[in-house]
Amino acid sequence: MRISTQTLFDNGAARIADAQAALYKTQQQVAADRRILTPSDDPVAAARALEVTQSQSLNTQYGTNRGYAKDSLAAVDGTLSSVTDLLQEVKTTAISAGNPTLNDSERASIATALQSSLGLLMGLANARDGQGNYMFSGFQTSTPPFVQTASGVQYQGDQGQRLVQVDATRQMAVSSPGQGVFQGGGQDMFKTLNDLITQLNTPGTTGLSTTLTTANSDLQAALDNVSTVRASVGTRMQELTSLDNAGTNKNLQYSQTLSNLQDLDYTQALTDLSRQQTTLEAAQKSFAQTSSLSLFKFL
Amino acid sequence: MATSILSIGQSALAAAQAGLSTTGHNIANASTPGYSRQVVIQGAAQPQNFGFGFMGQGTQISTVQRVYNEYLGVQVQSAQASQSGLDTYYTQIKQIDNMLADPTAGLSPSLQDFFSGIQAMASNPSNVPARQTVLSSADTLAGRFQSLAGQLNEISQGVNSQIQSSVSSINSYAQQIAQLNDSIGKAQRATGQPPNDLLDQRDQLVLDLNKEIKATVVKQGDGSYNVFIGNGQSLVVGTTTSKLVSVASATDLSKIVVAYQSSSGSTIPLSESSLVGGQLGGLAEFRSKTLEPAQNALGRVAIGLASTVNAQHSLGQDLNGNLGGALFTLASPVVNANTGNTGSATVTASISDAGALTTSDYRLQYDGSNYTLTRLSDNTATTFAPAALPQTVDGVTINVSTAPAAGDSFLIRPTVNGASGIGVAISDPALLAAAAPIRATPTSGNTGTGTIGPGSVNTPPPPNANLQQPVTITFTSATTYNVTGTGTGNPTGLTYTPGATISYNGWSTAISGTPAAGDSFTVASNAGGVGDSRNALLLGDLQTSNTLGNGTTSYQGAYSQFVSEIGNKTRELQVTSSAASNLLSQATLSAQNESGVNLDEEAANLLRYQQAYQAAGKVMQIASQLFDVLLSIGQ
Repeated sequence: MRISTQTLFDNGAARIADAQAALYKTQQQVAADRRILTPSDDPVAAARALEVTQSQSLNTQYGTNRGYAKDSLAAVDGTLSSVTDLLQEVKTTAISAGNPTLNDSERASIATALQSSLGLLMGLANARDGQGNYMFSGFQTSTPPFVQTASGVQYQGDQGQRLVQVDATRQMAVSSPGQGVFQGGGQDMFKTLNDLITQLNTPGTTGLSTTLTTANSDLQAALDNVSTVRASVGTRMQELTSLDNAGTNKNLQYSQTLSNLQDLDYTQALTDLSRQQTTLEAAQKSFAQTSSLSLFKFL
Repeated sequence: MATSILSIGQSALAAAQAGLSTTGHNIANASTPGYSRQVVIQGAAQPQNFGFGFMGQGTQISTVQRVYNEYLGVQVQSAQASQSGLDTYYTQIKQIDNMLADPTAGLSPSLQDFFSGIQAMASNPSNVPARQTVLSSADTLAGRFQSLAGQLNEISQGVNSQIQSSVSSINSYAQQIAQLNDSIGKAQRATGQPPNDLLDQRDQLVLDLNKEIKATVVKQGDGSYNVFIGNGQSLVVGTTTSKLVSVASATDLSKIVVAYQSSSGSTIPLSESSLVGGQLGGLAEFRSKTLEPAQNALGRVAIGLASTVNAQHSLGQDLNGNLGGALFTLASPVVNANTGNTGSATVTASISDAGALTTSDYRLQYDGSNYTLTRLSDNTATTFAPAALPQTVDGVTINVSTAPAAGDSFLIRPTVNGASGIGVAISDPALLAAAAPIRATPTSGNTGTGTIGPGSVNTPPPPNANLQQPVTITFTSATTYNVTGTGTGNPTGLTYTPGATISYNGWSTAISGTPAAGDSFTVASNAGGVGDSRNALLLGDLQTSNTLGNGTTSYQGAYSQFVSEIGNKTRELQVTSSAASNLLSQATLSAQNESGVNLDEEAANLLRYQQAYQAAGKVMQIASQLFDVLLSIGQ
């Protein structure tokens, strides 16, 4: 076969360029530590990687959201724990007020103690979370939920439960409207305490035992009510912990999927790199040798 | 006879000399593009009858021929046109492929950041820094869209300028071919011999022309080339040329198209589908099949995102207690009237359903009685009468001001500016509508066990004018209730079904449990509900909802689809353009094997002609000696 001299040079140069391009590509992959340098390297994996990245980012966001939810629930639980302690103390005090040996002034001083408990209870009911939001006013977090009025303590909040997206399909309530906590379950803590204080401030023992009995049972109902709310808060915190575990597992799976989709097999890449290097050197050497063959050298 | 020997020797000397200079010419042009090696065609001279027989009279050169195979030449030209076309397409699409290369720099991260911001706001609705994060990430997202659109726009401008330079190259090649047709014809008529080097130059010009656009050559009887492009438009006929011009498109002034200039000077635009092969064909195909759909696809994600987020946002309540406004500004569809329209009608287009948008452009044509709307991606046509205006097709509502003249047409591009035109409409974080505008409350003192759901606002926007009017649901017995409030019509005696949806004034809620007679529930404005994040949660849900493509894909899905389409097409072109390159090198190799100069062969020829020259000289020397013998006889 006749081969033109130009073909010899053109083809030689083209083969060297091809070998260089292949080597460069592998070198880029190794340097970037990515198998997919542009979407065209693996269009399906490139598109899939984008979607898995979104799922992973969402999963991470749900984890962050669970952190907020835990903080909110812990704040609610902490406050309710104080409310429980307070109610138990009030209950003990109420029982001691029934002691028939007490005189009016001694009952009045118990009333004074209960008055301060009532103040404490108001403080707890109007507690704010770390961000200064009222915990028990429903959606109206900048409105104090309870105010003292002439006709007793009034709830100014609403029945809204603040929700947090804690997983793809789970929105969790992280607040309890205060009315249900402090005035629910057929009792009103503020009224109970107020009635008790009024009775103890009234000289004589008329109606004392009836009031104390009512107060006792109301306080028990209040304690039961708070316990119910706390149990529900506790259950939700447990759920968050198990969602956290599931989230960690998911994150691991997403990372693995992403790694399978786009990470470089280093062993393979380095093997390719040295093979391509050999090819390039061979192409260069053989071209230099064949192109130097010329009859003119012998003329 | 001695004189005859001398002339035989002389003819041999001349032939050897011609051989040497032709070989020298071949060596000199060994690397000239398009050069075909030349050979001396030598034959024995006419013999002379001397009675005893014919005596040879030496040699003569009949011609100098180039070794050129027309069939192989045409193959190289045709392979060149398709290789240039595919290579141009590949080079162009590779720019978009590279643009989408880094997954950490594309649209995805900013899309995810925006929704992370929404989620963080949903978890802390009254927290101003969390709200500010939403606005900042919305800005970043809009910026990403604009920057991607800007890059595509730059590529589009690059295509325009390359079309212009390609058109001027084509015109220049056409003129040179016509000139060579003239010179070659003259040379051939004058000498009867082929002007080899001019023929090579002309074939090389045809090859160069094929790098710009696929050109077909029809060889005429007199040896001149007629060159045709596209659907048979003549470019060169004999010694005259037609001119191509680059002009702004009649329907889109920002787009340069190729037109054919007739001898009278009027221009006829060439359809993009008729521009095949070569750089020009590759550019036209890239623009219509990849670049414009890419701009539209990105625009569709932007418009889809902006309008669905805006729709949900307008159903919420901001930190000041007002209903939400638009969170994003979005671009309107582009309508271009054909510059050749004779009527004065203006066409308006607006997006009525972002979820139904396609990535196609549309052409609206009026034939004097009916309109035809053609979806350009698949040429699906919808015909409708003027009475049917405004007409909604694929989520775009089209209206026409007055009846256009028959034959008028309009190009409607619903999403082309979507990505470049997206922006953030609000700058005050308090205006983010994280809360729902209503809340449902049981009246304190209810004696039954009935509970009411939090209530939600009905889609689609705009919200009902009476949305926030207080409405009271009062139970008259355990199974019946009355409703009172502005906008409800105050119905009475309604039957209670636990858990059934109760919907008035654009909101819905449900009551469950067993209410007692006299119990009541109110649904009213969510005044002061700064801790409410119901609307923010619904905004967050949009991230994974299938809001686009008629409910088939999410924002991320539509973007991934776009990335995957570009990736697949780039990969396909990588393969086809490298196959075309191989085909071209094969064809070039075959042609070169026949026509190319081999220096070793020329070296051998040099020796051959050198020896022939020496031998011819010897013949003449002997003839001279013979003559000397004759002269010496007489002395």
